[in-house]
Amino acid sequence: MSESKAVHRSQPELARYNRQMLFSHVGVEGQRKLRAARVLLVGCGALGTTLANLLARAGVGHLVIVDRDFIEVTNLQRQVLFDHEDIERNLPKAFAAKEKLTRANPEIEIEAIVADASHANIEKLAEKTDLLLDGTDNFETRFLINDLSVKIGVPWIYGGCIGATGLAMNVLPKETPCLRCIFETAPPPGMNPTCDTAGVLGPAASIVASWQALEALKLLSGNRAAMSRALFSFDLWENRFQQLNVARAKEVADCPCCTHGEYEYLSGKFASATTVLCGRNAVQVTPAPSTTKIDFERIAVALQAVGNPTHNKFMLKCAFIEGTGDRRNDLELTLFADGRAIVKGTNDAGLARGVYAKYVGA
Amino acid sequence: MADVIDATHAGLRAIYFDNAATSWPKPACVAEAMSLFLANDAANPGRAGHRMAVAAEKMLDRVRKSLADFVRASEPSRVIFSSNGTDALNIALKGLLREGDHVVTTTLEHNSVSRPLEAMSRRGFITLTRVDFSPASCVIDPDDIRRAMTPRTKLVAMTHASNVLGTLQPIEPVGKIAHDHGARFLVDAAQSIGLVDVDVEAMHVDALAFPGHKGLLGPTGTGALCLSSRIAAEQILPFREGGTGGDSSSPTQPAVFPHLLEGGTPNTVGIAGLGAAIDFVNARGPSQMLAHERAILTKILEAIAALPKIRIFGPKSAGDRVGALSITIDGYSPQEAAAILDESFAIAVRPGLHCAPYAHRTIGTFPDGTVRISPGVFTTSDDVDTLVRALGEIAGA
Repeated sequence: MSESKAVHRSQPELARYNRQMLFSHVGVEGQRKLRAARVLLVGCGALGTTLANLLARAGVGHLVIVDRDFIEVTNLQRQVLFDHEDIERNLPKAFAAKEKLTRANPEIEIEAIVADASHANIEKLAEKTDLLLDGTDNFETRFLINDLSVKIGVPWIYGGCIGATGLAMNVLPKETPCLRCIFETAPPPGMNPTCDTAGVLGPAASIVASWQALEALKLLSGNRAAMSRALFSFDLWENRFQQLNVARAKEVADCPCCTHGEYEYLSGKFASATTVLCGRNAVQVTPAPSTTKIDFERIAVALQAVGNPTHNKFMLKCAFIEGTGDRRNDLELTLFADGRAIVKGTNDAGLARGVYAKYVGA
Repeated sequence: MADVIDATHAGLRAIYFDNAATSWPKPACVAEAMSLFLANDAANPGRAGHRMAVAAEKMLDRVRKSLADFVRASEPSRVIFSSNGTDALNIALKGLLREGDHVVTTTLEHNSVSRPLEAMSRRGFITLTRVDFSPASCVIDPDDIRRAMTPRTKLVAMTHASNVLGTLQPIEPVGKIAHDHGARFLVDAAQSIGLVDVDVEAMHVDALAFPGHKGLLGPTGTGALCLSSRIAAEQILPFREGGTGGDSSSPTQPAVFPHLLEGGTPNTVGIAGLGAAIDFVNARGPSQMLAHERAILTKILEAIAALPKIRIFGPKSAGDRVGALSITIDGYSPQEAAAILDESFAIAVRPGLHCAPYAHRTIGTFPDGTVRISPGVFTTSDDVDTLVRALGEIAGA
């Protein structure tokens, strides 16, 4: 009788993991380690729902899911845990994910937190965690996770996707390069397309998140040595997969974060600022200082996906609707050349930051 | 400008038109005085007899005397140090009013007057009449104040100059009306202090509240409430109680000014800076400083009168103003216009409601507000040229 079948009989709570335990690198020991593990998942969208789904079913014992958003109909194409009923019930993503996954695996603990992860709260959110997982849609939060990971010596797994392309990488502090060794700072606002302006295919998100989840299972089941040390990259439309060797990046980069211990995102120095403006319902989002000026022409083209942007030499304006039903917000984004923006129609700094990340990108 | 610290912001010299919020730059002597005090004498005043405590106490006494002279208070002990203008107003409003009192105030007030009064009114502690102003003159008519007075009116609370429109208000006649009706007169001098002389005794002002960081050119965290000789210690309740040094055996706050209203360690470092700032203001002369601000405003008003997309609120001349002017620009919200001025021209202005929502309702700019341009004593003619050019470019884009 194999070990896992014996466990199946003597410890019925492990029965659900039978097929996983049969995989020799996991086994009963690996499964117990998963049960004891605690993971912080930042962001519960396309990447986050797949990550949460795979890790909850795999028996990761304590999952903390942080996301400030509510579910919208445009999420359903790729965010695998959500459905129309969640939208009707006006559920935040974190709550809906917890509800679904508790049904799939009632034996683990899931904590759902409806919040915007920022330099002010992320250290508290990450207390006692064994792994930080990136399910975010913006570089500022990724650099924040990166700073935290290096500072507290807890690994994190980066993942990002757009269109049919994806990128993912493990960051093992003190061992592998960190995200700032690869990309020195967050790209200036408006430089990169976002899923909300350039689109994204569900399978691309699914592949990135599945890669991240598998790497997470390696780490949490006690198989750190098996983890990838490369930057995983693909363009599924062009049928291209790559494993970029980044081993030397750490020496080359003279990284402020992992070489010099300067946590500029975690300290708030490079954080974007939000200011609720005096007057009508408006929030100003001021990104970290950058010398790159916004190209209004390019952003205007991108924003045609959501509204009818207009611009002059000083500013670009675009009105659009965010959310549905009770959560519908009629917003207007005014973007200025240095990347700052005024989001009119809300006093909610988190919503303004979210809108900025989705439509301008940072 | 040798008087002031040369400051740049992100490589650009900031062109600062937000002096109504707080004046900038500060005279170099202010930072020097704070730094020296912090280095040498920063002990707790009045709590011990050692030489540093005595030096700190002497510094406080000196600045208290300067402020008393500045507003012609009958004695320095009637100058109560506060942490800002709002704090001084709260000491007065919460100390002077009693249950059932009626208060007359105006729609020009800053939230530091209107919010405490509105809160007291909503919980039924006082009744409140808010007198409106004419949107053409942006000045309160004293006769409207007279008509609002009732036998139960115990306080008239009014600003000396609108922080939105810059218009000076007729405090002396209003003070006379208050006194004729047996009421006290509280004046918010946030925008006028350092520019327009106030004589608390002669102008019927019973309580004059102001910050130290605006026209007085001192640091933030400073302010004062100056009480006239008509207010006795037993007529004002301390809104904050605590340590005062001196007679610690007394179970309650000592009933003498200023200790009655000054519980807690004062902001000695800031007050040292304020002392130097008042010396600077006295040397330059408030009337000279006001003349400078009016000359700057005149230049701005004349230049923007030619820009059809710019709307100016209030009188079209600088004569009745302190240094503040509200405008709007067609095609831009005030917030957008201010963001462009900062982003493309490094010009600092304040958009929105300026904590004075009632005034914006009267001039028809609620809830978006206006763009407030507030020059200061260090604003130059070049600054105005840059501002006017920027406004022209924005309006023409």
